[in-house]
Amino acid sequence: MSGVSKAYGGAYALRGVDLELRQGEVHALVGENGAGKSTLMKVLAGVHRHDGGTMTLDGKPVSFGSVAEARRHGIVMVYQELMLFPDLSVAENLYLGTERGLINHRRLLERARTDLAAIELDVDPATPVRKLGIGEQQLVEIASALVHDSRILIMDEPTAALSAVESERLFSLIDSLKARGVSIIYISHRLEEIFRLADRVTVLRDGRLVGTHEIAAVSPDMVIKEMVGRSVLNYSRKRVERGEIMARFEFEGPDLKPGKLELRQGEIVGLAGVIGSGRSTVLNALFGLTGKASWNGMPVNSPRDALRRGLVLVPGDRKMQGMVAELPATQNISLATLERLSRFGVMNARAEKSQADEWSGRLSLRPRDPNKPAGTFSGGNQQKIVVGKMLATEPTVLLLDEPTRGVDVGARAELYELISELADEGLGLIIGSSDTSELISLSDRILVFRHGAVVTELHAPFVEEEVVRNVTGASQLA
Amino acid sequence: MSLARVNWRELLSKYGLVLALLVLIIILALLSDRFLTTSNALNVLRQIAVNAIIACGMTVVIITAGIDLSVGSLLALVGVLGAGMATGDVPPALAMGATLGIGALLGAFNGFFVGYVRIAPFIVTLAGLTIFRGLALAFTDGSPISGLPPAYFAIGYGSFLGIPTPVWIMIGFMLLTHFLLRFTPFGRSVYAIGGNEEAARLSGIPVKRVKMLTYAYAGLASALAAIVLTGRLNSAQPSAGYMFELDAIAAVVVGGTSLSGGRGAVFGTLIGALIIGVINNGMNLLNVPSFYQQVVKGGVILGALLIERLISSRNQT
Repeated sequence: MSGVSKAYGGAYALRGVDLELRQGEVHALVGENGAGKSTLMKVLAGVHRHDGGTMTLDGKPVSFGSVAEARRHGIVMVYQELMLFPDLSVAENLYLGTERGLINHRRLLERARTDLAAIELDVDPATPVRKLGIGEQQLVEIASALVHDSRILIMDEPTAALSAVESERLFSLIDSLKARGVSIIYISHRLEEIFRLADRVTVLRDGRLVGTHEIAAVSPDMVIKEMVGRSVLNYSRKRVERGEIMARFEFEGPDLKPGKLELRQGEIVGLAGVIGSGRSTVLNALFGLTGKASWNGMPVNSPRDALRRGLVLVPGDRKMQGMVAELPATQNISLATLERLSRFGVMNARAEKSQADEWSGRLSLRPRDPNKPAGTFSGGNQQKIVVGKMLATEPTVLLLDEPTRGVDVGARAELYELISELADEGLGLIIGSSDTSELISLSDRILVFRHGAVVTELHAPFVEEEVVRNVTGASQLA
Repeated sequence: MSLARVNWRELLSKYGLVLALLVLIIILALLSDRFLTTSNALNVLRQIAVNAIIACGMTVVIITAGIDLSVGSLLALVGVLGAGMATGDVPPALAMGATLGIGALLGAFNGFFVGYVRIAPFIVTLAGLTIFRGLALAFTDGSPISGLPPAYFAIGYGSFLGIPTPVWIMIGFMLLTHFLLRFTPFGRSVYAIGGNEEAARLSGIPVKRVKMLTYAYAGLASALAAIVLTGRLNSAQPSAGYMFELDAIAAVVVGGTSLSGGRGAVFGTLIGALIIGVINNGMNLLNVPSFYQQVVKGGVILGALLIERLISSRNQT
């Protein structure tokens, strides 16, 4: 790929990026969120077509209009969300769409056994995929890509949901693929994995290529230096004297070791960590969604319970968890305060309208038309609606999970401003984010999660490289 | 203005439904001179009252993305239980009150399994469908209960200001349902759950309880319909309400409420019930053999959904 560009609307997601992939190499792709890794891979895998630049495969120019076309050229992306059919067996999943006519189950199993043995994957091909662990499912998915004679595999954060043992199996599968001449593009925030697996590493920043290096020629610190310092929104919060300790939390969860957290009035605690580190699980546990948590000694049993006591979460996935797309913004904003907005079981329309007006004003909702269905607003304004809904409950503790994911720069600045104001008003805030610069801009304290536990606590002023080093696990390497 | 455009679209899709009804009425008026008369109009309204009342409850359930298949059987069961009381020593007002109460309770029984035990509504209410029917047959030994006090007859055949009592009851219950859906926290929760259950739960809405209450409301609606039907037939029959769930679902869906939840309104359901009622009535007047009537009815339901799909897919682009 050379000089590849991609723009969405007027904004460039990629500008003239070069990437060269050798046969049988593991090529790591790193960069902070928004650096353009995913866009670049989507161009390669045929999800998007590039606007500028060229791609060549075996010396011939190519351009993929669809995923199917990329697949025909042997390029396959292994998604984070698994694409298997849970009730079909491993063998059936492997050869789906390749069998013609009637299916001979015995022959299918035979073939699966041979193919699985060839890549040293020890899974019974007759097992329904549903019964496999998440890690094994992922291995099967990779195997199915190989069955279709893929030559280039793209893996995006493949170990995010895997345990240490499962990750090891993935790594050995990658080794055996390499030996068979398959090239792998490996996207990960975990530098420890990259330094263990990759032959070369390419760093992206702000949609541009920073550099490609032989892994033996660089150190983790050098890679981090290239990753950070992207030109983001320059926001810096005026940090004031923090108040009394207002909340003592204890928590544990499915992929989270038991832990404690204290929060002061007016304090913003940032939670950093890669996907699957426990960063997001903590927030869900504190809100009573998963695992166990207590707040000042009292258990938080459900979101309803948490809301009543003044603890709210702005969830990380606004489409799935945040808003009701069909309902107007007004009704979304009042969703968590229905009881307060009604008397004798009847909604008070005037109170509801004035609450919606208040929050759409304070959040600068655009367009300022709260009667429009929430789903018709832009991502940033949808997020404002969800934040408004939660703030309308007048909480004392505000939890935010990825508060600016998919939010444009303008709305992001407004959300940062609001978050600072809330802290100044004495709320306690806990913000989980995969965006390091966001945490640095806002937090008084950053807790770094790894493997389900806090491994480091950092205090403002922060050094970005130090935060990234802890998040990526580079601090564990030499 | 984008606001104006959105409202136009909404108007168009509502208007489209009314338009379909008008076209239907015009066609039938041309085909039969007995169709467009006051007495026939009242006749149609009286005929649709039972279905429309049930469909009100069904609308609420379907907006939460649920379904209630048990409404017809429930109608039969509470009908015979109420009639049993009324033919005994229980005063009719009390018997009718008990009918409504038992209907709501049986609905809540469905709702408990849907909301708290999280069994799919289709399965729960399918079980309800056979259980309630079986109980109705067992309670009556399979034979109708007649000899009811005159209060039932008054409900079935009375009129006020020239309009039959069943129609008044239908109008009243529609207004009540509309009020519940539009102006109460309960109604708001119903839409929120149907639109995005997870977001509703994270907003502190008691999802399980609200779901249970929607089925209780559907039970209440069926019980009210049972009283009206008992009055019309001047007897309570354990076989009453057979396949009524399908008519109710058809009215709701033809009325533009989405089976996937989050959208819908009672007004649409009324139009839906009217369209189905007008078709039935028109075909009777035209002496269409009853076997073909079913075919036509099914075709109209499919056609209505096809038009709705065309409108909504145009709205998306």
